[in-house]
Amino acid sequence: MRPLDEGETVHRSTRALAAALAVATIVPLAACSTGEGSGPPVLTWYINPDNGGQAAIAASCSDASGGAYSIETSLLPRDAAAQREQLARRLAAKDSSIDLMSLDPPFIPELAEAGFLAPVPDDVATATTQDVVQGAIDGSTWKDELVAIPFWANTQLLWYRKSVAQAAGLDLTQPVTWDQIMTAAQDQDKYLAVQGAKAESLTVWINALVESAGGQILENPEAPADELTLGLETDAGRAAARIVGEIGSSGLGGPGLPSEDEAASLTLFQGDKGSFMVNWPFVWSSTLSGVDAGSLDQTLLDDIGWTTYPQVVEGQDTRPPYGGISLGVGAFSRHTDLSYEAAQCIVSAENQAAYFVSDGNPAANTAAYDDPAVQKAYPMYDVIRQSLEQAAPRPQTPFYNEVSTGLQQTWYPPASVTEDGTPVTSTDFITAVLRGERLL
Amino acid sequence: MMGSVLSTRARVWWAVITVVVLVGALFPVVSILMTSFKGPSDLNSGTFLPPQWSTDNYEQILSSGGSAQELFLSALRNSVGISLIATVIAVVLATLAAYAIARLNFPGKRLILTTALGVSIFPVVSIVTPLFNLWRNIGLYDTWLGLIIPYLSLTLPISIWTLAAFFRQIPWELEQAAQVDGATPWQAFRKVIVPLAAPGVFTTALIAFFIAWNDFVYGISLTSTSAARPVPAALAFFTGASYFEEPTGAISAAAVVVTIPVVILVVLFQRQIVSGLTQGAVKG
Amino acid sequence: MSTDTRGAHPAQPSRPEPDPAPDLTPDKKAKAARSDRARAEARLGWYLAGPAFVVMLAVTLYPILQAVYDSLFNYKLTAPDDRSFVGLGNYVVILTDPVWWRDFAVTFFIMVVSVVVELVLGFALALVMHRAIKRLRGLLRTAILVPYGIITVVSAFAWFYAFDITSGYVNSWFDWVPGIGPDLNWFAHQGTSLFVIIASEVWKTTPFISLLLLAGLAQVPGELEEAAKVDGATAWQRFSRVIVPNMKAAIMVAVLFRALDAFRIFDNVFIMTNGANNTEVLSLLAYRTSIGQLQIGMGSAISVLLFLCVIGICFVAIKLFKVDLAGARGER
Repeated sequence: MRPLDEGETVHRSTRALAAALAVATIVPLAACSTGEGSGPPVLTWYINPDNGGQAAIAASCSDASGGAYSIETSLLPRDAAAQREQLARRLAAKDSSIDLMSLDPPFIPELAEAGFLAPVPDDVATATTQDVVQGAIDGSTWKDELVAIPFWANTQLLWYRKSVAQAAGLDLTQPVTWDQIMTAAQDQDKYLAVQGAKAESLTVWINALVESAGGQILENPEAPADELTLGLETDAGRAAARIVGEIGSSGLGGPGLPSEDEAASLTLFQGDKGSFMVNWPFVWSSTLSGVDAGSLDQTLLDDIGWTTYPQVVEGQDTRPPYGGISLGVGAFSRHTDLSYEAAQCIVSAENQAAYFVSDGNPAANTAAYDDPAVQKAYPMYDVIRQSLEQAAPRPQTPFYNEVSTGLQQTWYPPASVTEDGTPVTSTDFITAVLRGERLL
Repeated sequence: MMGSVLSTRARVWWAVITVVVLVGALFPVVSILMTSFKGPSDLNSGTFLPPQWSTDNYEQILSSGGSAQELFLSALRNSVGISLIATVIAVVLATLAAYAIARLNFPGKRLILTTALGVSIFPVVSIVTPLFNLWRNIGLYDTWLGLIIPYLSLTLPISIWTLAAFFRQIPWELEQAAQVDGATPWQAFRKVIVPLAAPGVFTTALIAFFIAWNDFVYGISLTSTSAARPVPAALAFFTGASYFEEPTGAISAAAVVVTIPVVILVVLFQRQIVSGLTQGAVKG
Repeated sequence: MSTDTRGAHPAQPSRPEPDPAPDLTPDKKAKAARSDRARAEARLGWYLAGPAFVVMLAVTLYPILQAVYDSLFNYKLTAPDDRSFVGLGNYVVILTDPVWWRDFAVTFFIMVVSVVVELVLGFALALVMHRAIKRLRGLLRTAILVPYGIITVVSAFAWFYAFDITSGYVNSWFDWVPGIGPDLNWFAHQGTSLFVIIASEVWKTTPFISLLLLAGLAQVPGELEEAAKVDGATAWQRFSRVIVPNMKAAIMVAVLFRALDAFRIFDNVFIMTNGANNTEVLSLLAYRTSIGQLQIGMGSAISVLLFLCVIGICFVAIKLFKVDLAGARGER
């Protein structure tokens, strides 16, 4: 007895047909897959998601190799921490299928220290650091040795709405301080766009503030876990905490601040209450395409200005955030020589320039900035190049994940950050985590 | 009540109730459907309906040359393949087990059912770490088989339960009756028992497939490339127009595409699914 | 969530097993024959059920034992050489850490609230389907099966995009509600984040509980209800005095299964907040520690504790609330 039944209304044949129909809607989609060919050695390049630029470079380098190798790309997650997670997992398994990796610089020391990166041949090191900005070389170096090849380098600029700056009487041809832009935004009843979400972007912000104030998050980044000393309980740490806390608690960051990442910052900046924003150069190409699509006004585009990252201490040179991607070669790869050959092709100045234009990710090689296409697409190219020379990488330590996650736990939400309290609590917490006494 | 003529007032009430249930059940689906038709510049419009209808997001994941096409289609292939295989294995094993439980008397029957119950309440996260460690040592990490095996922990217990409940309702005497009437045991089984058991097996397969199709924890933990990454895990890999932009549109479009088969199956087989889900609770 | 056993089976009333065919031969021979046959039957039973049994054990028992072993070590995957035995040290760290207890409280809160809300909504839905005329019934069932069949991650994205301050429309639709306005960031506060998380969980899993209750409703003898009606009982009295007591077993089992399922919540939280603003749940903590930070030792210890929590909930349900799992198993 099946009380819920209303009789066999669907005949078995109908049912079979129906099942076939349901399957038919998904199978044809699934069926068109890419086949694998045999031929030259296939190098697998694990890439971070982008606009297709890395895949294009992979194809052109495969062609250029004259059959010596062909590069296949495999996608990593969007989130930087998740990228590290995937790669570390595979490398810990001594995976030989990892030839090339697009690496976020803060995670390089961890992989290098664990012996997961194949040593860079001297000639390759020399060739690939020619004309490259210092920040990118620093970010690819561990214990005074180049362990990865700089590919593209990123930095944040201060973007501003000319109308707001003018109304506030702020002169942006001169370096400005955080306090100045905070006051200007407050006076004009506008929001300041920063990255307050609990994510890697928060660490980027904190690090830039601490470095700009002349401090360092880690004083001895190369030390073992239980000997690492934090530099937050200093004037620099407190200055950083004051700025984050004030923007958070005054409402200056807007209601979206606790979930605001780079993209959300841009949306805020483009809106009616936009004033100043610290962000990567992708915001320019993104705004341009919005104007092309008709969803944003040309007047908005004309209203946008840019300059170097704000100072924390007046008169003291700012240290903008450093980001980007370096190429690592897997230590367990069967083709390390070919991989380094391919890496050299990938990071050529022409490829970097093309990638800058197509994907909005600035080149690490200064030669790329002379390319007319780059200069046309990014009128602020000179500010970017200059900013890259000044940029400060995040702490170069094998325990970066613990440090960064620890900062995100204790400096979040921004409104809860206090000048005197947060540097102490975060130092205590991160120290305990590094000693294995606390959960992250 | 059922079958009786309804008064006007009752009609109105039923209409209201039906609308409320339909809206409640379908609204989030419609919501993401609308989002999927918003062009890149309308994603932050803050409206429910797209200001301008656009198929950009679908082109991104489906058309050749779309930036997420390869990512999405390989994930779809993995999801379909892995879920189907895990379902088939679970249903075959469960059919044998459930037949034994329903028809035979043997010591340990209770143990098997208790085990199935225990496995079904097991926290997936608890076993993912050791599995991950084992898989990378024996080379199952990031392979189809490496997901199919753990998926059995999701699909097998429920299949055993559902099928055992179905099989208890089959009038097995018919088999003997057919044999008395001169049919061979095989004929009796094929002509009498298979038609009676088939709907239950089919329903069980549907439910098992839904569960495997839904998995997320195994999918993100035990794969790392498009070789085995299923759809729910792949959604985290989509990207917007540039590295930092939100992939809201692509995710919505992919979400809609993977929801279509679910809706079709539900519409066609709602009665079977309901009877399968409630089988154990109803007196056989 | 994906750790899902949505069809786990409640309340099968026990039922005698089919008797072996009647045997009329003299005693001794019969006994021998019977035991022979019993042995053969047992062997066949294990041949048929054995593979499923072995597979189930292999995919759960082995990993959990391995997790127990790993949890005794300080072991990080990116520093495999530093592996050292720490005994119960990891457990001490976890159980003295406020993070564990905060996540425990959040998980427990989500479990209790979502189960209570689902029970109420599920009952209402079950009554609606029970009473509905045939034509409507099919429609209603199809509608509620959509949330059941949809991928949890997809549902989480649907809810997230609707409420998100940048892309969502909820703020502008409901700005007439006090406290909701264009400036409300749902995912910036614990309370509002949990509200959306629980709402999506309830939406996704109420169908399951309502179907179980529907099956339970079918078991309530119609005559009893009729009799109560004749005696002048109000609708509420009929519901609370006749329907509910007769469905008690079905309700308890449905609640237990949903509670265990809700306790393992992962997907929605991962997608919507990833644990920000004190919304982290235990499954996410275990995932972040073992898979995210590659702290195999510490992560395994959290996994084992999570497993013990699930067993604890079962134990409490069976001992304190007398949930009849024997009935649920369909065997006695």
